[in-house]
Amino acid sequence: MALKDIVKRTRARRDLPQRVADLEADVLELRRHNLRLAEIVDVVTELVVPLSSRDQDKIDAAIEKFNESL
Amino acid sequence: MTLRVRSVDEKGILLWATGNEPLDVLFDGQRVWSFWTGRDADIPVVPWRRFRWPKPLRRYLDGTTKVTVRTHVTGRVLSESELRFGSADRRISVVNAAGAPLGMDKSGKMTATFEGRSQRDMRPLLDAMSVVLAALERAGVEPFLAYGTLLGAVREGDFLGHDSDADLGYVSRHEHPCDVMVESFRLQRLLRREGLQIYRYSGAAFRVDLVEDDGTRRGLDVFGGFMDGGRLYLMGEVGEDFRPEWVRPRSTVTLSGREFPAPARPEELLRASYGDSWRVPDPAFRFRTPQHTVDQLNGWFRGGSAFRRDWQRAFSRFRGQPPPKGASALAQLLHEEEPTETQVLDVGAGRGRDALWLSRQGRSVTAYDYVPGSLDGAASAAAAGGASLDIRQLNLTDLRSVLGEGARLAHGSAPRAMLARHVADATNGFGRESLARFASMALRDGGRLYLEVWTGGGAPPPRLLAVDLTQMRRRLERHGGRVVRTEELEEREADVPPDRAMEVGRLVAQWA
Repeated sequence: MALKDIVKRTRARRDLPQRVADLEADVLELRRHNLRLAEIVDVVTELVVPLSSRDQDKIDAAIEKFNESL
Repeated sequence: MTLRVRSVDEKGILLWATGNEPLDVLFDGQRVWSFWTGRDADIPVVPWRRFRWPKPLRRYLDGTTKVTVRTHVTGRVLSESELRFGSADRRISVVNAAGAPLGMDKSGKMTATFEGRSQRDMRPLLDAMSVVLAALERAGVEPFLAYGTLLGAVREGDFLGHDSDADLGYVSRHEHPCDVMVESFRLQRLLRREGLQIYRYSGAAFRVDLVEDDGTRRGLDVFGGFMDGGRLYLMGEVGEDFRPEWVRPRSTVTLSGREFPAPARPEELLRASYGDSWRVPDPAFRFRTPQHTVDQLNGWFRGGSAFRRDWQRAFSRFRGQPPPKGASALAQLLHEEEPTETQVLDVGAGRGRDALWLSRQGRSVTAYDYVPGSLDGAASAAAAGGASLDIRQLNLTDLRSVLGEGARLAHGSAPRAMLARHVADATNGFGRESLARFASMALRDGGRLYLEVWTGGGAPPPRLLAVDLTQMRRRLERHGGRVVRTEELEEREADVPPDRAMEVGRLVAQWA
């Protein structure tokens, strides 16, 4: 094995704890997206769809119903 | 295995014990505490083991009582003695305000447990369970008894004496956490439509609050779950290898003489919930959920109500009381600068001192907080004085709450100002982003935000987190606000000593 490969491997091993910590943080960040995505899906289906009707009474009722259901 | 009680005194219980088994401690025949002789000992390798009276129990210890220490499984009495605590000349009574006996539950709180309740006493809870199960069924999921309630049904055909609530669960047909939460939101909407009150714990678990005929409020926990890749995840403690045929088709179990739905293999869910020793009674059970499962459940489902429990606890002792008199300097500044017809939105109103004061100045005020009931006292005081104070819930860490309320306000055209005193520093980064977003939605036709935060200097105020004023300023600007005033000052309430003063930053931002 060439010297530069040994250096590379040693460096990779030394960096391993930091890489694991970074990966954990990345996974957590990805998991967190589930809640925000679910909230957006809920808002779109319950609010944005009625808003597109352009009927003010329907819109007001949808907003009121949505807020009450939280 | 040796087990002897050496002494029971004002400090606690001294045992000579070599094993590990659960013991019950009774005061005048009422179980008040249970512990494990090995697991809960300070130094388990030493046979002399001292167990101090647990903190939540200590506040009741003033007077005399007959202390019994017995083994939980066989009921063998190890010690019985009359004991005096403190100086009061009365029997010790470990009861709540309604007179119900209290015992320590699994979370270490003194709770009105099921111990000593008759079949008749349990009837309202059984009825409530049937109501919620039927509503969940109509909403399209397949609910079953879960956790302690399932354990009681399978092991004893009844509620566990040391338990204090009823738990229900369901396993979603969805396999993705996002879909599980969308379904949970839909369930909440359908249950709400049936007239049930819901208090959401997380994206996949909530409590259904029922008001019984005699006015008693009763909460039933509903835990959502899902299966993915041969594993079952059930809020809030389970992440285990599991087979779909252990979930469906559901079976039935008998609880207090009534039949209730259960998973296809209830014993497998109990094993997943409590471990292989689930058949052994454990009145002092503590979940030892693996950190990886906790991280998974937290990451997927939690984060929609940051710090709420702390604020709930802080406000609970003021429940129903009117807020303190007067107003903060920031509320007074708003009142000086804004015309009287300007409607005020007080975000993070807490107990409602500023909101009440502003409404008494003849303004139309909406007070927002995410702790239910924190503004009850202010609402009653406003109603009694004929002031215009509207109370609404707003949770800055729930995007739906912010967008839903923002949409409602976006439609109105009244001139508005927003007061946000110690709210940006009471939430997390997502909450601060939501506050800026909410301000931009509510004030986009023109209006000012008056904001104050603790900037980190001086005495650290309870429950607040220091906020960098420059970052907050940039955040507001990103959402279209133009900061017209920045001040750094020392804030001190009239009744706070000088050494408790804190440094606060003030921003006034203008939209449109």
